[in-house]
Amino acid sequence: MKTYMKTIAIGTALLTAAGAGCGGDEDTGPLGNVDSLIVLQRPKRNDMGDIFQYTSYKPKTESGVNARLIKLEPPTADGKQTVICCDQAGAEFANVDISGYDIDFDAKRIVFSGKLSGSTNYGLFILTLADGSVEQVPTDPARDYVSPIFLPGDKIMFTTNSIVEAGARQHRDEYERGTTLQLGRISTDGTGEELGARNLSHRTFPTLMSDGRVMFTQWDHLGGMNAGHLMFVNQDMTNLREGFGKEGTGASNSVLKATEISAGRFVAIATARNRTIQAGALIDVKLGIKKTDGDTVTAAERQSEANATYTDLTPDVPHGNEPSADTVGRYYDAFPLNAKDKPDLVVSWANGPVESSVLGAAGLEADFGVYLLDTKNNQRHPLLDNPEMWDIFPRPLQERAVPGISGSSIDPALNGQTMIGSMDVYQSSLKTFTPSSIYGVRVMEGFSSEEGFPEMFGTTMFEGQANLGVARVQADGSWLATVPSNVPLHVQAVDVFGMSMFSEPVWVSGRKNEARVCGGCHEARDKATIIDPGQTDAFAVGPTPMYGLTPRAQRKSMDFSRDKIMGVAWDKTVQKVFDNNNCLSCHDHNNAAGMQPYTITDPVTGTSVAWTFNLENTPLPAAFAEIGGEAAFTSSYFSIAGPDMEAIEKGGLVVSTCTAANCTSLSYASPEDSRGSKIIKALNPKRQFPTQTNERAFTTTPHQNNNITADEFYQLILNIDMGLNFYARENGPGLNNY
Amino acid sequence: MKTISMKLAAVAFLALAASPAFAGKGGSAGQIKAAIQSGSVDAITAEIERTESLTCSECVQLVTNLLEDNRYSVREVAAWWFAKRPALKDMVATTMLDDLQSGSTIKVRNAADFLGRTMTYTSLPALRATMHRDNLGTDAKLALVRAVSYIGNLGGNEVLTTAMADSDASVRAAAATAWRDILGQTSATPVAGLLTDSDAGVRAAAATVVGGMGHVAAAAQLEVMVVGDADPVARRNAAWALGKLGQQSSRVALAKASTDKSGLVRMVARASLASLK
Repeated sequence: MKTYMKTIAIGTALLTAAGAGCGGDEDTGPLGNVDSLIVLQRPKRNDMGDIFQYTSYKPKTESGVNARLIKLEPPTADGKQTVICCDQAGAEFANVDISGYDIDFDAKRIVFSGKLSGSTNYGLFILTLADGSVEQVPTDPARDYVSPIFLPGDKIMFTTNSIVEAGARQHRDEYERGTTLQLGRISTDGTGEELGARNLSHRTFPTLMSDGRVMFTQWDHLGGMNAGHLMFVNQDMTNLREGFGKEGTGASNSVLKATEISAGRFVAIATARNRTIQAGALIDVKLGIKKTDGDTVTAAERQSEANATYTDLTPDVPHGNEPSADTVGRYYDAFPLNAKDKPDLVVSWANGPVESSVLGAAGLEADFGVYLLDTKNNQRHPLLDNPEMWDIFPRPLQERAVPGISGSSIDPALNGQTMIGSMDVYQSSLKTFTPSSIYGVRVMEGFSSEEGFPEMFGTTMFEGQANLGVARVQADGSWLATVPSNVPLHVQAVDVFGMSMFSEPVWVSGRKNEARVCGGCHEARDKATIIDPGQTDAFAVGPTPMYGLTPRAQRKSMDFSRDKIMGVAWDKTVQKVFDNNNCLSCHDHNNAAGMQPYTITDPVTGTSVAWTFNLENTPLPAAFAEIGGEAAFTSSYFSIAGPDMEAIEKGGLVVSTCTAANCTSLSYASPEDSRGSKIIKALNPKRQFPTQTNERAFTTTPHQNNNITADEFYQLILNIDMGLNFYARENGPGLNNY
Repeated sequence: MKTISMKLAAVAFLALAASPAFAGKGGSAGQIKAAIQSGSVDAITAEIERTESLTCSECVQLVTNLLEDNRYSVREVAAWWFAKRPALKDMVATTMLDDLQSGSTIKVRNAADFLGRTMTYTSLPALRATMHRDNLGTDAKLALVRAVSYIGNLGGNEVLTTAMADSDASVRAAAATAWRDILGQTSATPVAGLLTDSDAGVRAAAATVVGGMGHVAAAAQLEVMVVGDADPVARRNAAWALGKLGQQSSRVALAKASTDKSGLVRMVARASLASLK
């Protein structure tokens, strides 16, 4: 999959610009047809280590120079530098910082994201190049709007922390702690602002492709998944699809700042999420099958993640967050000047250890300058480097083709809901299902701590979830459901016992009235999905209603029966199962069952603690503070879910368990895998669908011949399949009065 | 420096020292120490983040000390570190509650930032009571507002309404802005009174809130503001708010504002004009 270019030492990279494009003459190199470059200059800083950091504000250098847009004409090292924004725009811009910009298709206007003072937010502004006038685009003054790009039809796309859902708070990222960015768009006359459906974490750096779609980086966090992948949407922010980085195609933890080279092919930054100053290696990604026509290489045919390959254009540059070496450095962004097999790029690059911790400790900042990068010969030719500034986002000031407008059919009959479904759920590139084995598809919504929860919902690192229901899979494998719009959704194929057979490893979402019907369950993405109403059985039956019009605050239930249960609050449901079924007679602190404990030991100090299986609703002992999570977590939760395994693993602690039948296990359930969980196997659940019966899932004898009800089994199963959390909306501490 | 080491000693498990030089996600107490010595916010933040899941007794005191750093970014990441260790967090919160009651402005600032960032809901009564202390400086009040804004519970409203009457404009503006972000907030009435505040920043913040919350009763004052306020940011926010309210009565004012001398105002006013019902 990965084809490294030969590694060539770039040396100091401060090669002369000879032959690197002297402007005005197309014989002089890849910049020969470019009259001028626009470059964003930001005062150097070091507070943008994380790739999703967007609030950094530093308007001036120590010598008092403002953030600004400049024109380099001709685009050579000795070209003339002219400030085009925002010295001329008035006193309001005296302290402006600019975070990003885009040039209009006709090269007459620039839209940029600017922040006027420390007490205001990043907003959008349009600079008219002919007269230098600047007008602000009307966006919510209390929210940030960044990374603008022009869209066809006089529209601007951006990312923002503004909230599409009235009355809700924007999701918070649990690690880098920022309020998440989502996609939006607005007309260039300031009317018609629209906000896209929300991901549970950030979406950033949108870029327009020649086929009319928009590509952007989405942070995917679902349980163990923690990575920034490239995704596609249409210009109206519908039809979200995977682009690059999943299914084993990823070049790094995060891929960002994608810019199209040619159809199906783009250059992007491959890096780690944190401490990398949003910079990394350059990769040449081909989404489809490579095709060469003269000097032009494309990859438009059969685009899919499964078919995607990438070439490392800068193989010495780290893809992780380790400090980069001297002369190697990191790239902030790149813009392709041609589509040759080894393309010429105009790039922003900084030398040395571009890593925020190392730089910060040394009292330094990365010094990004603009270079012409010849990827064939690995030669970097300097064009511009103001030592006080980050010289970033170099772009030719020239007209470009306007792609077509991409959008999806919107069905007003949905009345504000979103309809999701599959043509045939058995079509999957990630899982092979036994025919007729899937009863239905369970849909869950996700949320973060912003709804009134502590940092952790449980010890398993899953986000908060609420069950919206199960849509029955029809004879032809199809299913449909109407769900709340604009919220992160997660789907699972479930069997007749209600147990997950497969969890889609991502959050998806849809806009109001959007119908998002996929081919299958993560089906091969290079196959067209053409929905013909009436073509599937699910269309004939109609979608399963799943609280599509129920407000967020009401999407919880204290009726825990199979068809009503939404959140599975541990203390209000799972604990009751233990309490109601006499489990504590053997499994309380008296340990009548005679279970043997396991121990966790620090090999350095020899300190250890022991834990014995206990299903009481009692607080954890203080000794388990570090590995047991929230103080509210109980003995029964700790017994079933186990300790924070990341704390144990990363802390180098040693777990000792015995092997006899009566030994306490480290945990009795696996998040999203009720079928594989010890507690479920032991208790042997009853059939749930289509009707609840006493039929058991496994041929083994149920533990203690229990008579746990089908509803109770479903509570256990659902809790496990929704990430094995302690907290749900039903017991969220932030929903109380204080 | 917090004197919680005795309490922490009770957490026997924390005697598990992190011996590997690059435990966790590459972090260690030694690296945190080095970062602290460098004085760099970025280095400190990076090293604290690196020890997100590290069991590290040596780190506890180091990170505890950072809860009293003068830079908010440092206090914030230190509080996050504790939030990832809830039982420890609860122990520190106890000492912070004491500081709210009787601490200096700086102590209250640090305590409020900790309690807010760690979403310590049970601290809301104490945060409310502290806002009424008469010897607090601006830093403390801003932190109290920041805390209830982050927590986002209606139980913080009293902190915000008290702050809206504060003599310091930055406190009033922060309180106005925070009002809109409280979960379940239904009325912008307390903020509307700030539309005639003597400070332009407060007026601008209030305009955004009443517009964002659809407080139609504020339209008349916003119409005055959009054409008459001396501050272009306040005029811009008023124009945006009028667009959100969508009242036909605002047409004249918005038409006039669409030729405003400031580029901040003109397009905003034109777009709002187009959105009137």
